[in-house]
Amino acid sequence: MEQHTNKERLLWTIGILVVLLYALIPVMWIASLSFKTPAEVGDGKFFSGFSTDNYEVIFNDDTFLAALINSIGIASIATLISIVLAAMAAYALSRLDFAGKAVILSGALAVAMFPPISIVGSLFDMWRAIGLYDTWPGLIIPYMTFTLPLAIYTLSAFFREIPWELEQAAQVDGATPFQAFRKVIVPLAAPGVFTAAILVFIFAWNDFIFANTLTSTDAARTVPAALAFFTGASQFEQPIGAISAAAVVVTVPIIIMVLIFQRRIVAGLTAGAVKG
Amino acid sequence: MKRRSERSSRAIRVVSGALIVLASALAAGCGVGGDEGGSGARAINWYVFNEPGGAFDKAVADCNKEAGGKYKINYVKLPTDANQQRELIVRRLAAEDDSIDLVGMDVIWTAELAEAGWILPWEGERRQVAEEGKLEGPLKTVEYNGKIWAIPFTSNTQLLWYRKDRVDPPPDDFTWDEMIDQASESGKAIEVQAAQYEGLTVWINSLIAGAGGQIVDQNGEVKVDASAERAAEIEKKLATSAAAPPGMSTNREDQARLGFESDRSDYQLNYTFIYPSAEAIKGFQDKIGWARYPRTDKGEESRPPLGGINIGVSAYAKAPDLAFDAAECLASDEHQAIAAELGGLPPTTEAVYEDEKVQKAFPFSDLLRESIDAAAPRPVTPAYSDISLAIQKSFHPPEGIDPNGLEDTLRDRIDKAGQGEIF
Amino acid sequence: MSTAEATGTRTAAPPKGKVSDRKKAERKLAWMLCAPAVIVMLLVTGYPIAYAFYLSLQKFDLRFPDDKEFVGLANYGDVLSSSTWWSDVITTLIITVASVALELVLGMAIALVMHRAIFGRGPVRAAILIPYGIVTVVAAFAWKFAFDPTSGFVFGLPLISDTWQPLNTKGGSLLVIILAEVWKTTPFMALLLLAGLALVPDELHEAAKVDGASTIQRFFRITLPLMRPAILVALLFRTLDAFRIFDTPFIIQPGGALGTETVSILGYNILINRVNLGLGSAVSILIFICVILIATLFVKGLGTSTAQQRGEV
Repeated sequence: MEQHTNKERLLWTIGILVVLLYALIPVMWIASLSFKTPAEVGDGKFFSGFSTDNYEVIFNDDTFLAALINSIGIASIATLISIVLAAMAAYALSRLDFAGKAVILSGALAVAMFPPISIVGSLFDMWRAIGLYDTWPGLIIPYMTFTLPLAIYTLSAFFREIPWELEQAAQVDGATPFQAFRKVIVPLAAPGVFTAAILVFIFAWNDFIFANTLTSTDAARTVPAALAFFTGASQFEQPIGAISAAAVVVTVPIIIMVLIFQRRIVAGLTAGAVKG
Repeated sequence: MKRRSERSSRAIRVVSGALIVLASALAAGCGVGGDEGGSGARAINWYVFNEPGGAFDKAVADCNKEAGGKYKINYVKLPTDANQQRELIVRRLAAEDDSIDLVGMDVIWTAELAEAGWILPWEGERRQVAEEGKLEGPLKTVEYNGKIWAIPFTSNTQLLWYRKDRVDPPPDDFTWDEMIDQASESGKAIEVQAAQYEGLTVWINSLIAGAGGQIVDQNGEVKVDASAERAAEIEKKLATSAAAPPGMSTNREDQARLGFESDRSDYQLNYTFIYPSAEAIKGFQDKIGWARYPRTDKGEESRPPLGGINIGVSAYAKAPDLAFDAAECLASDEHQAIAAELGGLPPTTEAVYEDEKVQKAFPFSDLLRESIDAAAPRPVTPAYSDISLAIQKSFHPPEGIDPNGLEDTLRDRIDKAGQGEIF
Repeated sequence: MSTAEATGTRTAAPPKGKVSDRKKAERKLAWMLCAPAVIVMLLVTGYPIAYAFYLSLQKFDLRFPDDKEFVGLANYGDVLSSSTWWSDVITTLIITVASVALELVLGMAIALVMHRAIFGRGPVRAAILIPYGIVTVVAAFAWKFAFDPTSGFVFGLPLISDTWQPLNTKGGSLLVIILAEVWKTTPFMALLLLAGLALVPDELHEAAKVDGASTIQRFFRITLPLMRPAILVALLFRTLDAFRIFDTPFIIQPGGALGTETVSILGYNILINRVNLGLGSAVSILIFICVILIATLFVKGLGTSTAQQRGEV
C-alpha cells in the first residue's frame, strides 16, 4: 500500500474540485436564473434572488404541464419497447450462432451514425400521410429506432458476461425452466437491462429535433420543444426566467436518476465501449 | 431439445409482451390528442400567438358568449418566436390538418398562404366587412392578386422614441444621417434591431422604402435598385459610429428596450410595447418622447415598418361559414380597442383610434395612426420567407457589409431565393 | 450430448445431420429474435432515407404543390456549386475538429482522475454524469444566458474584459458553441477512455517504474499506445456526433446567424423553414454521405491499427 503524502492529497483535492466545478457551473447558473425576478435577471450575478415566481408561472401553464406529461410518457414507452426489442436481439447476438451477426451489428452501427436531419423531412411527409403526425407513436417510433443500436450494444456486452450454464445447473438441481430463468438469469441480466434502460431514457428525454418537427400541438410536444413557447410580459420580451425554471424542472429528475444510478450508467457505457 | 423449446417459449413470451405494449402505445397515442370539441357547439380553433395581456382571451370569451351556442372558439397558442409560428402553421396546413380553423396570421404570411391554397378568400359581403374603415397599411397586407385573404385585426409600427430630458424633439424631416451624427457627438447609442432575423428585414425594408425603392413588386418581379445600397450605407454608418449600440448584431426588440431603459441610449426605434414596459422603472416613462420614424432621404417621407396580425380562415376548416363569422367577431372594432387597452396592440380600423380606451393606452395614438397609414408593407410575395432570409444574409453583420456592389449581391440572392435555389 | 448442451452453443463434432438441424433451428430462432429490431431500424431509417433520396431528385416546394417535377441531379448540382454549402461544411468541420480535440484532452484528464484518484471517485463520477444527463437544449440555453450581453455572468469574472462580446462575432459564437458542446459530451468521452484505461495492466506500469520511467514517460509510452483502440472508438463516435451537431447552434445562434450555420442547420432552414423538400432532401442526403465518408476513414484507420496490435501481440 502506498502512503499518500499531503501534497498528493492536496493535488488530488484540487483536481477533483476542478472537475466538480466544471460539471456544475452551467447547471448552477441556470438554476440561479430560475430564481431571479425580471429585474434581477440583468445583474449577471449568481443566486442574487430566491423568488419562486417563475416556477409558479410555468406550473400554471397548460402547455408546459402537457409537455411534461408528453415527455415522461413518450420517453418511458420508447424506452420500454426499445429495451424489449434490443434484449431479444442482444440475446440472439450474444448467445446464438448464426450468419448475419456482423451485418446486423454494422447495420445497427450505421443507424447510430445517422444524421437525424436527413430523415426528418421524409418522416414529416410519411407521418402526415399515415396520420401519425403530432401523436405519441409519431415520436416513439423514431426514438426507439435511434436508441436501438445503443441498447443492443450495451445489452450484448452484458449478456456475454452472464454465465448461462448456471441456468442449466439450476435445472439439473430440480428447478423448472421458468424458475431457473426467473431465479438465476433474471437477476444476472437485470443490471444490464436496467443500465440500458437508463441510457435509452436519457436519449429520448433529451431529443429536440424530432420533437420540434414532428409535433405541433400540446398533444405530443415534449419539453425541449415546448421551451419555445414561453413568453415574457409582452410578445417581444425574452422569457429567460420561465425558460430557466422549465429547464430546472426538466433536469432535476435526470440529476436524481444519475446520482442514484451512477454506478450502473458508468458500467453500461464502459462495458459497451470495451466490447464494442 | 429442451433448450430449444425453452428458448422458443421465452422468445414467444417476450415477443407477445412487446406486441401488447406496442399496441397499447398506439392506442394511447391515438387516444391522446388535443380534444378540440365543445359540448355540442362547433369548435373553432384559433391558432395565434400567446398574448400575455389577456386581450385575446377576452375577445374569445366575448365572442363565445355572443355566438350563443352556434360555435365555440378555442384559443390555441403558438410559439413565441415569429419564425417558429410560421413553421408550425405552414407544416400543419401543408399536412391539410382540419383541426385548424382560424389562423392568426403575421402580416407577411398572406401571399404565401394564399398562393398555396391554404386559406380562403374573403368575397362578396365578407370582403366588405373585412375592408371597411381600415387603414391603408393593414389593408395592403391582406391583399394578394386582387383578392382579400384575411380580416385585419391588430397592427403595429415602430416609432422613434427619445429621451426628452437629454435631446430636443426631432424636426419633422429628421433623417437617419442626422440622427446618427447627433448621437455620435453625444456618445449615446441609437437602439435598433440588427440581429440576423426578421427584425432586420423590417428595418432594411423601411430604409429602402424610405428612399423610394422596392425589393419585389406586386407581380413578384425583383426590383432591387440603388436604394438597397443607400440602406446598407445607413446601416453600416450606424454600426461603425460612436452611436452603435453594444451587441448590435444580436439585438432584437427586447435587447433594444433593455438598452434604452439602461440609460445607454438617447434614441430607440421600437414597437409600442416599450412604453407600458417603462412603467416598471420609477419616473422613467415621463422621460420618454416619441416622434415619427426617421427619413432615409431628406426629401422623401419616411415609411415606418408595419407589423400586426390578420385573421384568416383555413381552407381545411370543417365549417368555413362559422369560421368567417367567428373571425369577424374577433376582429371587431370593440375587440381591437380591448387589444389596445390590454395588449398594447394598435387597431387597424381608423375610427377605433378615437375610442377613449385607445387614447388612454396610447398617449401617442395620433402619431400611431398616421404612421400605420403611411407604413411600408414588406414584400408581398409567396416566396417571402425565402426572400427575407436572403435580405437578412445580405445585410448582416452590420459592421461587415460592403454597400458597394451590394445591389447586385442582393438581387442575385433574391432571384435565387424566389426560384427555390440555394443561396 | 449432455456435455455439449451444458457448455452452450459452440460445440465440436456431433454427427453432421444433428448439427445442421440444430444450427437451422438456432438460426431461425436468432432471426426471429432479431427481426423486430431489424425491421424497426430498416423501416424508420432505411425507408425515409430512400424516400429522401427520391424527394431530392424532384423540384418540390410545399408552397407551390403544382410545380412538382422531376429534375434528376439538378438539386445536387445547385447545392454542390454553391459557396453556402461549402462554407457550412467548413464551419461544421471547424466545430467538429475543435470540439473533438478538446474533448479528447479533457476527457483523458477526467478519465485519469477517475482512474487514479485516491479518494472521491464517487462524487466525481456523479458530477460528470450530470452534463451527460442534462437535456442538450437546456445546456445550450445555460451557456447562451451565461454569455448574454445584458444578463450573463461571464463578464463579471476577473480575467474577462467588459467589451468582449463573443455572441456578436463569428469567432466568439463558434467558441461558445464549441464550449457548450464540449461541456456536454466530455463525460461520454471520459467514460469511453476510462474503459480503455482499465485495460492497461498495472504490472507494465510497475515494471516501468522499476526501470526508472517517469510518470509522463509511462503515460506516453505505455498508457496511450495500449489505449489506442479505445481512443479510436471514442474518436469515431464523437466525430460522427459532432459533425451532426444541431441542438446547440440552433439555440445559441438561431438561424445560423453570424456565419455559424452548420450543415444540419442549413438542412433545417431549407426543409422546415422554406419547406423546399426537394432541395432540402438533397442537402440531407449529402450530409449522410459526409457522415459515411468520415466513418469509413475511421474504420479503415481502426482496422489497420487493430490488425497491427494483433500482429504485435
